[in-house]
Amino acid sequence: MNVEKSHCEQSGLYVHIPFCEAKCRYCGFYSEPVRNHNSARLVSAIITEFQMRIQTSFSPQTIYIGGGSPSCLPQEQLSRLVGEITSRWPKTDEFTIEVNPGQLNKTSLSQLRKMGVNRLSIGAQSFDNTELSFLGRRHSVENIQKAVDAAKKAGFQNIGLDLIFAIPGSTLASWEHNLMSAIDLGVQHVSTYALTYEEKTPLQKAVEAGEVKPVDEETDRLMYETAIEKLEKAGFRQYEISNFAKPGFECRHNLNYWANYPYIGVGPAAASFWNDNRTTNIAEINTYIEAIGKGESVIEESETPKPLQIACETAVLNLRRRCGIYIDEFQKQTGYEVLKLFAEPIDKYGELGLIEMTDGRLFLTREALPIADSILCDFSDV
Amino acid sequence: MSTEHIRNFSIIAHIDHGKSTLADRILEITGTVSDRQMKDQLLDDMDIERERGITIKASAVTMNYEHAGKNYMLNLIDTPGHVDFHYEVSRALSACEGALLVVDATQGVQAQTVANAYLATSVGVELIGVINKVDLPSAQPEITAEEIEHVLGIKKQDCFRISAKTGLGVQELLDALVTLLPPPTDLSGEPTAALVFDSINDDYRGVICYVRVFAGGLTLRQKIRFMGAGRTYQVTELGKFSPKMSAVDRLGAGEVGYVIANIRQLSDVTIGDTITDDSNPAKRTLPGYVPPMQMVFSDFYPGNNTDYPKLRSAFEKLALNDASFSFVPQNSPALGFGFRCGFLGLLHMEIVQERLEREHNIDVVQTAPTVSYEVVTNDDNVKKIDSPSELPDLSHIKELREPFVRLEIITGTDSIGGIMKLAESRRCRLLKTDYLSQNRVMLEYRAPLAEIVYDFYDLLKGVSHGYATMDYEFTGFEAGDLVKINILVNKVPVDALSLIVHRSVAESRGRRMLVRLRKAIPRHQFEIPLQVAIGGKIIARESIKPFRKDVTAKLYGGDVTRKMKVLKRQKEGKKRMKSIGAVQIPQEAFMSILDNSD
Repeated sequence: MNVEKSHCEQSGLYVHIPFCEAKCRYCGFYSEPVRNHNSARLVSAIITEFQMRIQTSFSPQTIYIGGGSPSCLPQEQLSRLVGEITSRWPKTDEFTIEVNPGQLNKTSLSQLRKMGVNRLSIGAQSFDNTELSFLGRRHSVENIQKAVDAAKKAGFQNIGLDLIFAIPGSTLASWEHNLMSAIDLGVQHVSTYALTYEEKTPLQKAVEAGEVKPVDEETDRLMYETAIEKLEKAGFRQYEISNFAKPGFECRHNLNYWANYPYIGVGPAAASFWNDNRTTNIAEINTYIEAIGKGESVIEESETPKPLQIACETAVLNLRRRCGIYIDEFQKQTGYEVLKLFAEPIDKYGELGLIEMTDGRLFLTREALPIADSILCDFSDV
Repeated sequence: MSTEHIRNFSIIAHIDHGKSTLADRILEITGTVSDRQMKDQLLDDMDIERERGITIKASAVTMNYEHAGKNYMLNLIDTPGHVDFHYEVSRALSACEGALLVVDATQGVQAQTVANAYLATSVGVELIGVINKVDLPSAQPEITAEEIEHVLGIKKQDCFRISAKTGLGVQELLDALVTLLPPPTDLSGEPTAALVFDSINDDYRGVICYVRVFAGGLTLRQKIRFMGAGRTYQVTELGKFSPKMSAVDRLGAGEVGYVIANIRQLSDVTIGDTITDDSNPAKRTLPGYVPPMQMVFSDFYPGNNTDYPKLRSAFEKLALNDASFSFVPQNSPALGFGFRCGFLGLLHMEIVQERLEREHNIDVVQTAPTVSYEVVTNDDNVKKIDSPSELPDLSHIKELREPFVRLEIITGTDSIGGIMKLAESRRCRLLKTDYLSQNRVMLEYRAPLAEIVYDFYDLLKGVSHGYATMDYEFTGFEAGDLVKINILVNKVPVDALSLIVHRSVAESRGRRMLVRLRKAIPRHQFEIPLQVAIGGKIIARESIKPFRKDVTAKLYGGDVTRKMKVLKRQKEGKKRMKSIGAVQIPQEAFMSILDNSD
């Protein structure tokens, strides 16, 4: 791949805000309590990183501010960041901010909407206060409803909710209730994630100590299948293993990842895939700010995957989409013929009814989705 | 030197009774090795031997010793100490006139002590009883002496009491060795006859033969003939181990040493062959050795089919240094191309396995070890099979014979009950009970080899709290009511999982095999039926439930590198298994079918 190609393709910009009000019990990502830091310094550093790293020719179609929780930034800092972004890249198709319920009021949401933010991703997680407190979330069910209401009133017509299932203590019935609550709020997008037990998290330790019992595999699967069933019935389309949208409301920024197209990530711990390089920024906030202050590179890790590795990554990412791999597109993008490169797993899983091919697309079947990793691993390497 | 001043001897002992320590001490006292310039237990050559505390290859060392004003040449021929290596012990003993029978005073007579003593007597070797470790507080030299007298017929007052570790009594033992053991018969005037009792392959010099000259002599550049193989060579080097190789011009009658003669491959030399002079040959060969008898067989398949040539070359190299190991190409409908390998016993198999991993780094899938069987077909042909998969259809079989052994177990009287129960459950028939002393007993059984070859020794150690020892010797094939258990995985019969067992236990064994397999085969994307069939009839089934959920919830931009690594690891895990259709079977599963525990 070369620079020209990157220009003519889709690309995305991601901005990472590693602040949280408080750490959730299950979260394994790097983040710090916002009250311990000077958010103005971080926003300034991020703006400087735009100037340092990004060429003027870069023109992302999508922008995504994620975290942590960007919504825990003080309003003036969030506005400063959004203002800087929209003045640099005034024409984007999709501009998302992740929002935690209870963190932004209607006035601030209106302001963001007016500045050009056109999509909100709300970290609802559950419509059961017991489950929310189990997860260590600081919001209530009421906060979610208010947040969605405020967002709508502020003029947002593209709102997504994140939900977590297989929470210890939950049942199929409680999960159905969560799903129906999300559907009833009239949002355009739902992401459903099975609770994962990340290493070294308080939740993981509680499981090891026998204090918490994970939901059994069979229920986990039933919950996942229920999500697909209920959401599709409500007019959502599953377009990726964990993502559902009303037609036309698929998250384009995330689709860019699954297409394995380039993106630039700015801010502490943000990852980029640019000019065939995968890089990750310094994670620790102060070290990041100091490096920016000295005009030094903030890239902590860098890897240049070989074309074959990129082809494998592309296949794995593409296959997470319900549309799967576009066979012609894959060859143009990677230089490899997918049917030859992965002949063995394609045959094997074709026979087992886990992979299908129609209309020039190769995709996982409905039955394959809950066990996708066991199949995708055979595409991770050749 | 006249044969009058030569003594050829071995040291035989149960494992850990101090054979190697005694050898070290003798080397020191004779001045063959000064102040421990070499590593402990000098005669053990290979790493694995040293680690396992056993000796695989016999070695020979020539020493000089002065007694009563006369110089003697002592040749110490080392012998392996484990139950699997009977054959190698017999080779070494045949080259000697005498042997030191070493018994640990803290342990008493053990099963291998008895087996080795019988073997020595059967080849006409004179024994000197040696009670070792008498310096230890827990030593019971008098009881040990009584046991030796009772079981082996060596008078208790004739036994030497020593400590190989401190050197106590070793000098006296050496003197006795000279005075009590007979010298070789002087046949220097006869045509040359030398016995090959071992051989090794040296990367630089080619094949080195260990020889004992019985008649005539060997000289440098002599044209020699291997009488059995019918091949002739010219001697390029003769020598002795002192203990390093030191060249000589001549090896005379009664002497022990080595011969190098441009022999390319170890397989060109048959152990037990007689070397003679090509122009003046001996009238007949020396009394031969019994060729090595492989008792345990197992198939090895490369984890990855493309590694087949690599596996072949690894086995070729292993065979170069181990004449008792054999391998032949094998094609399994389920597992593809591999090799059927033959071993002297289970320990021998484990040693080869370890060397394969350590020296050649190849992933292999190995089937459960099996013994060989004799099949008598309806037309009265007798055929030997080394694998259950070779068993012809039952309708063609008139008789199926399995190997039997004479099994000797020595134990404390308090564990007799447990041992008898164990032996009974393995179809062993008690032949004799012999009390060695008040507290110790020797049990002699007639046992089917298949029942004792795999886990019997471990179980024996278990029921006797580690005290019982065992040894066995093959006695012959005998007909039995044997059946083959077939396993079907995902409805496909897997030959490599089949087993031949006695009919009386077939059903319970079959059911147990299924339980083991259900645990050993990981869950797949689909349900895997497991069935066990005896004589074409399914007698039990189990199934491995599929996994229901295996998917990463979130995969976005920042997760790609990490996630790809995780997926690759998952794929690597699959690679270490053998595919049978869409089912991946790990190595443990093949071995698990022999796990007989509850």
